[in-house]
Amino acid sequence: MTNIPVAFDRTWLPALQDLMQNDGPWHKWELFQLALEAEEALAVKEFDQLQALKYLPHVKPYPHQISTAEKVLNEMRGRAILADEVGLGKTIEAGLIMKEYMVRGLAKKILILVPASLVIQWTKELNQKFGIPAVAQKKEYMWRQYDVVVGSIDTAKRDPHRRHVLDIEYDMLVIDEAHKLKNKRTRNYQFAKEIKKKYCLLLTATPIQNEMDELYNLINLLRPGHLGPTRAFATNYVEGKRQAKNNEQLKTEIGKVMIRNRRSDGGIEFTERQVKSIPIELSKEEWALYQGVTDFVRQTYRADVGGINALALITLQREVCSSREAAFMTLYNMHQRTAEGSKEQAAILELVEMIKRIGTHSKAAKTVELLKQIDDKAIIFTEYRATQNYLQKYLGEHGITSVPFRGGFKRSKKDWMTELFQNRAQVLVATEAGGEGINLQFCNQVINYDLPWNPMRIEQRIGRVHRLGQKRDVHIYNLSTIGTIEEHILHLLYEKIDLFEMVIGELDEIVDRLGLLSSLEQNIIDIIMESGSEKEMALKLDNIGQAINSVRHSALADKAKKLS
Amino acid sequence: MEQQQMRRFIETYLAAFSAHICESHPDYLTVKLPEAVDKDIGNRPFYWSWIEKMNMPPQPMILTFAFDPDRMPEGVRAELLHLGAGRLQQIFRSAQKHGRFVCMYELAPPVRQSSAKRRSLPLVPWLGVNVKISFICDKKKDLLLYLGVNLHQPKVVFDFYPSVRKLALSPSIPDYFYTLDQRLTLEQAAEWIKQAVDETIEREDHRWAEFARERLAQELDILEAYYTQLTDSEGSSEETASESSSQKTDGPAEDHPGVPGVEEAREELPPPPSPPAKEPVSWEQHQSTGGRILDFLRINGIPVTPKEQIEQTEWRKSTPQEERERRIAELKWQYEPRIEVTLINAGLFYLHSAPSFAAEPQNM
Repeated sequence: MTNIPVAFDRTWLPALQDLMQNDGPWHKWELFQLALEAEEALAVKEFDQLQALKYLPHVKPYPHQISTAEKVLNEMRGRAILADEVGLGKTIEAGLIMKEYMVRGLAKKILILVPASLVIQWTKELNQKFGIPAVAQKKEYMWRQYDVVVGSIDTAKRDPHRRHVLDIEYDMLVIDEAHKLKNKRTRNYQFAKEIKKKYCLLLTATPIQNEMDELYNLINLLRPGHLGPTRAFATNYVEGKRQAKNNEQLKTEIGKVMIRNRRSDGGIEFTERQVKSIPIELSKEEWALYQGVTDFVRQTYRADVGGINALALITLQREVCSSREAAFMTLYNMHQRTAEGSKEQAAILELVEMIKRIGTHSKAAKTVELLKQIDDKAIIFTEYRATQNYLQKYLGEHGITSVPFRGGFKRSKKDWMTELFQNRAQVLVATEAGGEGINLQFCNQVINYDLPWNPMRIEQRIGRVHRLGQKRDVHIYNLSTIGTIEEHILHLLYEKIDLFEMVIGELDEIVDRLGLLSSLEQNIIDIIMESGSEKEMALKLDNIGQAINSVRHSALADKAKKLS
Repeated sequence: MEQQQMRRFIETYLAAFSAHICESHPDYLTVKLPEAVDKDIGNRPFYWSWIEKMNMPPQPMILTFAFDPDRMPEGVRAELLHLGAGRLQQIFRSAQKHGRFVCMYELAPPVRQSSAKRRSLPLVPWLGVNVKISFICDKKKDLLLYLGVNLHQPKVVFDFYPSVRKLALSPSIPDYFYTLDQRLTLEQAAEWIKQAVDETIEREDHRWAEFARERLAQELDILEAYYTQLTDSEGSSEETASESSSQKTDGPAEDHPGVPGVEEAREELPPPPSPPAKEPVSWEQHQSTGGRILDFLRINGIPVTPKEQIEQTEWRKSTPQEERERRIAELKWQYEPRIEVTLINAGLFYLHSAPSFAAEPQNM
């Protein structure tokens, strides 16, 4: 076979000729030898062998990540959907593949499109972990000036950026959160399709959220026609919107463009979760306040009093479970809004008086005790700013260093707080868990100071530390004050639906698949606010637990049938 | 490259530039960078151009290189050198830049002769050429060849460099030796090299290229079927109804900040700003021809698009035909097998001994 074009470099001839004519200046023999040695170190000896690892002393990929990279390079020809379940390290896989193509000299110009909130995170990770000189796109000229650019698709698709991006031939295009491209009629989708690219990676944890078409569209971005033309796809594979047919064949075809690693596949070791409930006995004054607030909330909720809306009452009921400080601000605001001299205002004033009378803080005291016992880094989650502030002050008074963490912090401040926590403080007191891309795996102790009524939020909290890279068992402490709503909630989440034992992402899937998200929390709220008695509340919460459980079982059964 | 080999590499590199080693510890090395090295690996081109413009004495940069991630020096800012480290890549490039062309003479063992009878001995001129052959499709593999051409009695040998490096060599001609004449010109020698390379390529297993072409053919088939059907069902299919109307069904409103009804105006828009057509010049080249920093930035900068030229409404989805052609181009770019032969370095070698060079490539 001789018809492979060979480009033979002759550009060096004139330079050598010049040197011969003038007899120098010649280079040093030592450097000549080193130049060769360098070239030998860089040369790629085999077509199919992963080279990237020897360039990455700081990355210790898991076996599934390495095999994913190898499969993409050798079988999928550099165009793939990476669809691992949440927390299995899709970014690492993408980084490995990117690095491999760069090391082989097959990719130089690379575009990485991610949600705006993740641009900095990606840039940082590529630089630090992979030694890939990626820059975050900020100015128009940067699309052209730099070889590896991380940008947001919403910026890239708009003029004048679009003209640059569509003009450049990218050796590689990486799109994170690619499920956002599932609809082929959106401009994002069409824009992604227009980008000139050689290799392409689409990252998503949920390749199919609702309809089969979504996956078809994603595959068409990578390899148009891989599943046949639209109509052929519909006739061959689609039974109903969510129902596939010819499953085996479809699976094979999808397997050629998509890799989905699952936790249940084994080989991926997650550490254990140790869940512990910490019961707390309230002092007499604290109990009086709790009872007073609960009674007030129930009465007012039903009475529909002017100036006090239902939302504020729900909030108040939640807050009083957390801390008196949290409740105080809401009570104060209510007081300002209620009519002067009304019955409610008097009741509120009385509650405020009760707060003033409380000298102890049983929950905070227990927390300090627990922290001393843990004697390690711990994250305390609370829903409320007031509780957070109070806790920090209280911990400080007891000689425990802590740093705050809030959703409102800028990205840089979040990073800074994370770093302080890692290096300087024992405790991170956080009001939010959803900070995408914040990694706290160095900590394995989580204290739920109060319990959100939305189970998804608890899942997110735990997910911050119980993820790939966590080397120790994760300890979760749920503080629950005896006899309060908190106890009931905990009972529901812990005993009934086994939430804390669910693998990461499981609840996510259940709720996501069945569109339960909006109704679950609302159901819990309704039950708590409208139950006439403790007993009624307990019974109703029990029922909801059973409902979730049955959903979970059917989801598990379905999963077995679902395409991989 | 093992860590020890790396350290030896760095030490040899620095010694070649007579660098001053401030501290040589088993775990690390602190060095004051000589000017040439600083310019290659110091990442401060503007500093150097400033120093030279102002005619000021430069402040040498001091760096500490560590070689073992588990034994980083304490209290010292050290850089770990490993294959993936940016600095090492720069050092590699620097070595390649300064180790490209040599001219060496063999130091033959002294011939025991009485001074009365002493006569000169001949040295044979050789051209040693080291090349990298890259086999490229959607994958890639490299093969290094160390070729040598005897310029006096024309012939090509393989594994020239591995044998030559074992000899004692000097950059200047030793006493009592003379060089034989070159009967081949450089161009002719290059032709011999090319032929040897071609023969080597010929002997290689070519299945990689066949497979790549098969993959390409497969992909093209799929594509053909897909777009043919798209075109066949034109008018009826939702996919082809797209070009003009699909935008109306498109995503959220923020995608369409434009005013409806500007369709015609679109055609007369000025072409998108493109960087100057001038051939791009590297900063080094620019600097070496005495260019100023500001001029360089002006020429090579990418102009910001003026506000009035920003046009969010100007958006047209490709037609299936355009899309198909783009995809075909992508596929060819990705898969079509090709071979690139590049020079690593080359040298003139005047040899007394005739080492046993392989006439065929070894271990292939």
